[in-house]
Order: sequence, then structure tokens, then C-alpha cells
Amino acid sequence: MTAIIEAVDLRKTYMMGKVPVEALRGVSFRVNAGDFIAILGPSGSGKSTLLNLIGALDKPTSGVMRIDGVNVSKLNDARLSVLRLKIGFVFQSFNLIPRLSAKANVELAMSIADMDASRCSRRAVKLLTIVGLKERMGHKPAELSGGQQQRVAIARALANNPKFLLLDEPTGNVDSKTANEIMALIYKLNKENGVSIIMVTHDQKLAGLAKRTINMFDGKIQSDVVN
Amino acid sequence: MRAVNVLSYSFSAIKLRKFRSALTILGVAIGITAIVALLSVTQGLQATITDDLNQGLSANSLIVMPGSSGQGGDSGFSIGIGSSSDSSGFSLYNNYTSQIVSLSPNITGAVAVMQKFGYVESDSLNRSVTIYGVDYATYAEIYGTFVAESGTIPLNPKNDTVIIGSRVSDPRQNGTRFIVPGDEINLLWLNATSFPTVNENCTVQVSGVLDTVGGFGMGGPSDTGVYIPLSSAESFFGTDACDMIIVTLTNTDKATIDSVSSLIREHFENQVLVISADAVQSVVASIISTIELFLGGIAAISLLVAGVSIMNIMIVSLIERTREIGILKALGMKSRTVLLIFLGEAVIIGLIGSIIGIIGGWVLAHGVSWVLSSGLLTGNSGGFAIKPLLTPTVVFVALIFGIGVTVVFALYPAWSASKLKPVDALRHE
Ligand SMILES: Nc1ncnc2c1ncn2[C@@H]1O[C@H](COP(=O)(O)OP(=O)(O)OP(=O)(O)O)[C@@H](O)[C@H]1O
Ligand SMILES: [Mg+2]
Repeated sequence: MTAIIEAVDLRKTYMMGKVPVEALRGVSFRVNAGDFIAILGPSGSGKSTLLNLIGALDKPTSGVMRIDGVNVSKLNDARLSVLRLKIGFVFQSFNLIPRLSAKANVELAMSIADMDASRCSRRAVKLLTIVGLKERMGHKPAELSGGQQQRVAIARALANNPKFLLLDEPTGNVDSKTANEIMALIYKLNKENGVSIIMVTHDQKLAGLAKRTINMFDGKIQSDVVN
Repeated sequence: MRAVNVLSYSFSAIKLRKFRSALTILGVAIGITAIVALLSVTQGLQATITDDLNQGLSANSLIVMPGSSGQGGDSGFSIGIGSSSDSSGFSLYNNYTSQIVSLSPNITGAVAVMQKFGYVESDSLNRSVTIYGVDYATYAEIYGTFVAESGTIPLNPKNDTVIIGSRVSDPRQNGTRFIVPGDEINLLWLNATSFPTVNENCTVQVSGVLDTVGGFGMGGPSDTGVYIPLSSAESFFGTDACDMIIVTLTNTDKATIDSVSSLIREHFENQVLVISADAVQSVVASIISTIELFLGGIAAISLLVAGVSIMNIMIVSLIERTREIGILKALGMKSRTVLLIFLGEAVIIGLIGSIIGIIGGWVLAHGVSWVLSSGLLTGNSGGFAIKPLLTPTVVFVALIFGIGVTVVFALYPAWSASKLKPVDALRHE
């Protein structure tokens, strides 16, 4: 099986003024198409930093990050943008655009990818229906609950048929009932639609749904096990 | 991302910050209002002056006056009223007209004009005028505006006949005539040739009142002139030297004007100035464009101030929207598109501001011309009518300036927005 993601000895060092902070200290792994990976680890262990590198939102200080066989560090600004179109990213804090409705938020992702307006609209309706928000499409983020916003963010992440979906604590800001609904949705996306998923979580129980669990500690992978 | 989507996204951002956007638009609109008002008033002024000059000095005539033309150029000139000789002692005489006519087949006629500043006194009115001595018949041949609106212009006038301009009869131009044909008036003038200077006067009888001419009357009929026969002028003023000779030509092309002008100058050994309508207009045009440039500079500064405030607002809006930019870039938006979104906002603001400014400037220009023509400023009856001109060029310049300034000042903020890294932007609270 070919790897859609391949990380080789990733290192990321942030400078806090003059003090270097090593967020990642040599991380290597491969992800195959159809995988469902949960990343666990204590706060500050480098989970979000790693997810940002996988999502091509940042470049490693050293090491190689290959997505679909392409070294991210070698890409220029415009090519990075094109790559990002193919990655669905669901942020810890949703990151919806407040002045746009749920539907317009989903449409925006597609119009950035040059899809024509009528297709954008049809697909946005379809995706919001899948995530169970058919009745709330016209609402702005502020008029939606945390779980609903999270589902809009998932619909948006799916908008351009991504190769894989990255989720940073998708259930971190919602109650356990909503968390279960969201997890069921993610599980279904992987199982039925074959979307590869990499999910950061603190919740051991949710991680049990994944096919594989990576444990991070202090910027390194402590364990990488297939469930 | 498609252009329509970029623009509609920009527009949604403008709509969100209605009050702030309105203030920015106002800033642009004020600058453009100033520029449009200024340009349309000065262009109107230029058109009015050109018009008036054409009334007073037709394109196919030349004015010959005593005076040397310096380096021989015909662009510099001065108009010395009441001095029938220049410092070198050269004088033009009334009977030189026939010599001038015989200089070239392109010359169709010549008429001598004597003029002095003076006063008119009647029972009801006392005002300053210019007293002209002309031959009624030939003068009327050259100037179609030398026609009586009431009374008559006799071809063989008596010594004490006088024709008066419309403003002499009706100074307020409102139909109230202070002097009508048949009235006797007293003309006064200063005789500067005798020493000590003396005031002289004579009593004349009004035969006709001219139609309103408008304009400046460069040698031609004037609304504030009184016209006595040339022979009377000679005896009243005690000289047969004239102030100018007006020469009419067969046509108006530049070659003819130039060749006749130099023939006349040579004939009088460069002791005369020959002025053509063309030369006067180019001097007037250059004066107006200087005024325009000066006032335009002031208007441009106001636009610059608007530009700086646009930059300020864009920077604030950029900081507020850092996170949003991070989201857009994380979704795969190109830096160039982010730049276009911010520039799009500037273009929309510039466009709306310019359109409001063009309308505002047009209204302001009409206000200014109304104030000028009503005589509120000068305080007397003599208003000066300017019809503001809003040419396509003015509209075009205003649009280019309004949009140009906003875009230029938005460039830096927009560029720095486009350069933000998605991770950094997303961390921003
Ligand atoms: N932009 C940055 N500048 C400086 N230091 C950073 C930056 N981003 C992360 N760090 C540091 O890198 C380390 C790893 O951060 P990261 O956000 O990846 O942790 P995490 O595992 O996602 O934690 P959490 O579970 O709390 O989200 C932390 O020590 C953090 O302070
Ligand atoms: Mg994190």
C-alpha cells in the first residue's frame, strides 16, 4: 500500500525570544489511504504542531514531510495553497467565519477551489444534510451551538473531497452526547466513505474507535499501535 | 477564486463594518468633491473667458497698439488704455488705417479706436465708463454686436451724438433704465497730457443703447462703454493719435495671422504690438491652468489625507481580521487572492466615494457659480456668470484619482495581509 503521508525525522523548533522551544524532536511515521489514526498525548507534547505540519499549514525546521509523495518544504506559496485545497482541516476552535452563514462557510471553501456557484450551493446543502444541519444552514456561527459549529467545520473540511481529514480535538468543546454524535459521524466517514482520518484527542475512549493509536510525549512518538 | 466571488467577499467585509466604511467613503468623497468642483469651475471659467474673448476680439481680427514687442515675440503684451503713445514717443494716428489696409490683400479693413477712462453724469446716474472714439459705420461693419437695442446708430452722427453700452443704461441689468435714447449726459475725463492734469467734460446726447454684449470687449463693443464719433473724440481729447487700430482679415488661419502680423510690425519698425485672438487666448489659458494647478494641488492634498485614513483603517481592519486571513489561507486561498480581496475592498470604497464626490462636486460647482453670478461676493450689480463644465475628462480624472488613491494606500496593508503565514494568523486572538 502506498503512503499518502510520510514523515521522516520531523523536528520543529519555535523561538520564544532567544529561547528555543523544541515542540517536535524527531517524529517519523507513515499513513496509508483509509487509515484512521488517533493521536494522544499530554498537553504541550506537540500534537497540534504535528497536525499543522501534516496539514501543510507550516513547514518543519528539519526532516521531511511528504504528502502524496511531495516534499512540503520544497513547495512555494502558490503550490502550498493548491495542496491545502486537498486537505480537510477541522480546528480545535472551529475557525468559522463569523459573518457568513453555515452554508456560506461551506461554500467559501469550494469557491476558493474555483467551483462554480450553483455546484457550491448544491454540494453545501448535501454536506450540511450529511452532518445533520439541514435545518440550520442559514444560521451564522454565533447562532449555533458548539457541537453544531463543529459539524459545520467538518462539512467545510469535506467540501473539496479531501484526501484525508485532520481533526484537532473535535470533541474538546462539546458535551459527551454531542461528542458521541460527532464521533459516530467521523467513524461513518472513514468506514463508509473511505476518508482517511487523523484525529488528535485527549479522550482514551474515543481513541478506541480508531484503527491505530499514536502516543506523543515531549515532542516524540512514544508508541504507535494498531488496535 | 473567481473575480465575482472575490468582489462579493470584499463587499461582505465592507458591509460588516458599515460605519467605518462610510467614514472612509466620506473621506474619498470630500477629496473628489473638491477636485471635481474645482475642475468644473475652472473649465467653465475658461470656456466663459474664451467665449467672451471671441465676442470682444473675433478670430479674424488683429489689434495693433503702440509699443515695442521686446524680443519680438507676440505672446507678451500689455494693454495701455489712455496712453496713445509709448515711452519711445511713437504714436499711431487715426489716418494710418489706409496705410495698413494697403499692406496686404489679406486685410479687409482697419478701424481706429480712441479710448479714455471717464465718467458719465446724468440726473439719475453717475458711473465710470470707458469712452471710445470710433467711426460708427466701419466699427459696425467689423463688430456685429455694435447694434442698437433701442434708439438708433446714425451713420453720419452729429458731434454731440453718443451711443451707450447696455450696462450704462441699465447698470443692474434688471430692466431699470437710468439713461434712455434722447437723454442728455455729461461725459468727464482726465486730460493727462496737459500739466497740471485737468478734468475735462462735454455734454452729449444719447442716440442709441447697445444690445447686451457680455464679455470683456477687447477693442470690441463693451457693455460699459460709451461711443462718440471719432471726429468728436479727436476734438474732445485734443489729439488725432489713437489707442489701437483693429484690423480685419480675410480668414482666420494661423499662417495669414502670422504673416499679416509681421508685415504690420515691420511697417511700423517694430514700434507696435500686434495682438491676435489666438495669442490672447493662449495667455489666458496659461493663467487659468496655473490657477488650476495651484487649486488642484490643494484638492489633491485633501485626497491624500483621505488616503492616509484609508491606510489607517485598512491596517486596523487587517489586524482585526488576522484570524480570518489565517482561515482563508488554511482553506487553500492563494496569497494573491487575499491581496485581491483587500484591494477589492479599496476599489469598492474608492468607486463609491468617487461617485458621491463627482455628484457632490457638481452640486458644489453650481453653488459656487451661483454665488459668483449673484454678486454676493463683489457686493455690486456686476456678477460674473460661470457655467460649470463637467466634461467626461473631469469625470474620468476624478474616478482614476479616487480609486487610484485608495488602491495605492491599501497596497501596503493588503500586501502584508497576503504575506501572513496561516499558523501564525490562526494563533491570533
Ligand atoms: N507558535 C509557537 N511559538 C512558540 N512556541 C510554540 C508555538 N506553538 C507551539 N509552541 C510550543 O510547542 C509545544 C507544543 O505545542 P502544541 O500546541 O503542539 O501542543 P499540543 O500537544 O497540541 O498541546 P494541547 O493538548 O494543549 O493542545 C508547547 O510547549 C508550545 O508552548
Ligand atoms: Mg493542541
